[in-house]
Amino acid sequence: MDEFDFARGVTVGQYVPGTSILHRLDPRAKLGGFVIVLAAVITTSSYLGNAVALLAVVGLVLLSGIPLGYVLSGVRPILPILVVFTLFNFLFLGNYDPTGSRVLWRQGLGLGPYEFAFTVTENSLKQTLQGVVRIIALILLTSTLTLTTNITSLAKGIESLLAPFRRIKVPGHEIAMVFAIAYRFVPTVADELERLMKAQASRGADFGRPGRFQFAKRARQLVPITVPVFVGAFRRAERLIMAMESRCYVGGAGRTPISLPRLVARDWLSLAAAAAFTLAVWNVPWPL
Amino acid sequence: MNEIIVEVKDLWHWYLRGTPLETVAVQGVGLELRSGDLAAIMGHTGSGKSTVVQHLNGLLRPHRGSVRVFGQDLGDRRTDARALRRMVGLVFQLPEQQLFDPTVGDDIAFGPRQLRCPPEEVRRRVRTAMERVGLGFDAYKDRYTFGLSGGEMRRVALAGVLALEPRLLVLDEPTAGLDPRGRAQLLGSIRALHAEAGMTVVIVSHDMDVVAELARTVWVLAGGRTVMHGGVREIFARVDELRELRLGIPQVSELAHELRRAGHQVRTDVLTANELAEALWTNSTSRAG
Repeated sequence: MDEFDFARGVTVGQYVPGTSILHRLDPRAKLGGFVIVLAAVITTSSYLGNAVALLAVVGLVLLSGIPLGYVLSGVRPILPILVVFTLFNFLFLGNYDPTGSRVLWRQGLGLGPYEFAFTVTENSLKQTLQGVVRIIALILLTSTLTLTTNITSLAKGIESLLAPFRRIKVPGHEIAMVFAIAYRFVPTVADELERLMKAQASRGADFGRPGRFQFAKRARQLVPITVPVFVGAFRRAERLIMAMESRCYVGGAGRTPISLPRLVARDWLSLAAAAAFTLAVWNVPWPL
Repeated sequence: MNEIIVEVKDLWHWYLRGTPLETVAVQGVGLELRSGDLAAIMGHTGSGKSTVVQHLNGLLRPHRGSVRVFGQDLGDRRTDARALRRMVGLVFQLPEQQLFDPTVGDDIAFGPRQLRCPPEEVRRRVRTAMERVGLGFDAYKDRYTFGLSGGEMRRVALAGVLALEPRLLVLDEPTAGLDPRGRAQLLGSIRALHAEAGMTVVIVSHDMDVVAELARTVWVLAGGRTVMHGGVREIFARVDELRELRLGIPQVSELAHELRRAGHQVRTDVLTANELAEALWTNSTSRAG
């Protein structure tokens, strides 16, 4: 891997064109199904249930025709956080276990006047492992949604799903637009970040040397990057405002879409499949 | 003949390699630069020229083919790209966007400080670099970076690279977006860096006028390949090929060709306004005599 080639690791905000069933689904059906499956992923509280949810998400990735390795590479950037998070959960969560489940390991630790303890209980171990599985499943699921849906149809989907709430003054169009703009610029900012790292490296900056886990050193090195990135973000925002205003953009009031396709059989079927899956995950008495 | 300092052979590079979005940016570029050159790499947008120059200081490593810079093989993982970056200064497109320190002097000092130069040495390097780009040390060192004009900011960014005291200077689209005055000043500074400071200079551009004014040797890229190279006059004489590549020729040469088409006996191998004026003068005097 090249030293600065990290736009490659950013799968969020990318769209990979394709012809799979997931690509062809209506964005509204896709979003609905996404929320339903998401519910299964984050609420199931058994080892087997989590494993099944993860497998189902992996199945969705395979269905999209996008290489699993590429989708998985989206997990890499958050790996350090995931490791720290898991480690802390593993060591300390048992101290606060309200269920009173069996203690598997306990280690007292005296630091001068302070007393610490590492505790692992049956329940805390389960929650720790579930946390990891859930986060990975979440990332895979979100990536699959966005990798198979271009930003315009995603925004349209959100807008039309939020339309019924207009009566209680939910600005559906504006929410969709803010989301679409933010999303649209993720790869742009990633590119810019890469360009700036290269530019600063060209004048002597040293990146990439400290390990992934040397947070303080990495943070200090980022000053020559973060300042220009923010300056650039504000400049871009201003230009975007100018562009929108010069085209008399006034928000969603009175706008109607040129085409509003109906949901077809495959959209309803996939929604039904998602609902059936989630209900099944909830209702099966998992032995573990 | 001067020694060869950059040798690129059959270079290939892919972006987003190993992902479904993979695209090939460079496919078989060859390039050779000798010390003391004042060269231009020109090509249309997407011709791969910016990708190629990022190989010259080891920001990118060749995916296929070889890149040797100052005798170091960049295909070899063990080659220290950081050490190479002190010898090869690369100035990116719109480099004013990479400034980050509130004061001009501190921003330029970033490089030398990263190299852990002692304070007097940092000061000397900053002073030299600023003078080379036409920014007076005392007048500018404490100015607020983000309050400068676009042209001034670009020269600060150039000074930031010069403070590393590179032997080879590579500039990607150095004049893009500058007003005529800023452009003339910058071109003057670049010319002086080559003539007075003895640097080898490579500019990357799709602006034929800049290339004609500055370069002596030219490498033309198209579709990720080297398609032409030679002396600047030699290249701009191949008008039809350049038009085919949608590159065109300098405005002055264009004018000379127009005049000739209109029936005037004018030399067409002119590259600058002065040369055209001279050609027209000779033409009119020879007719009078």
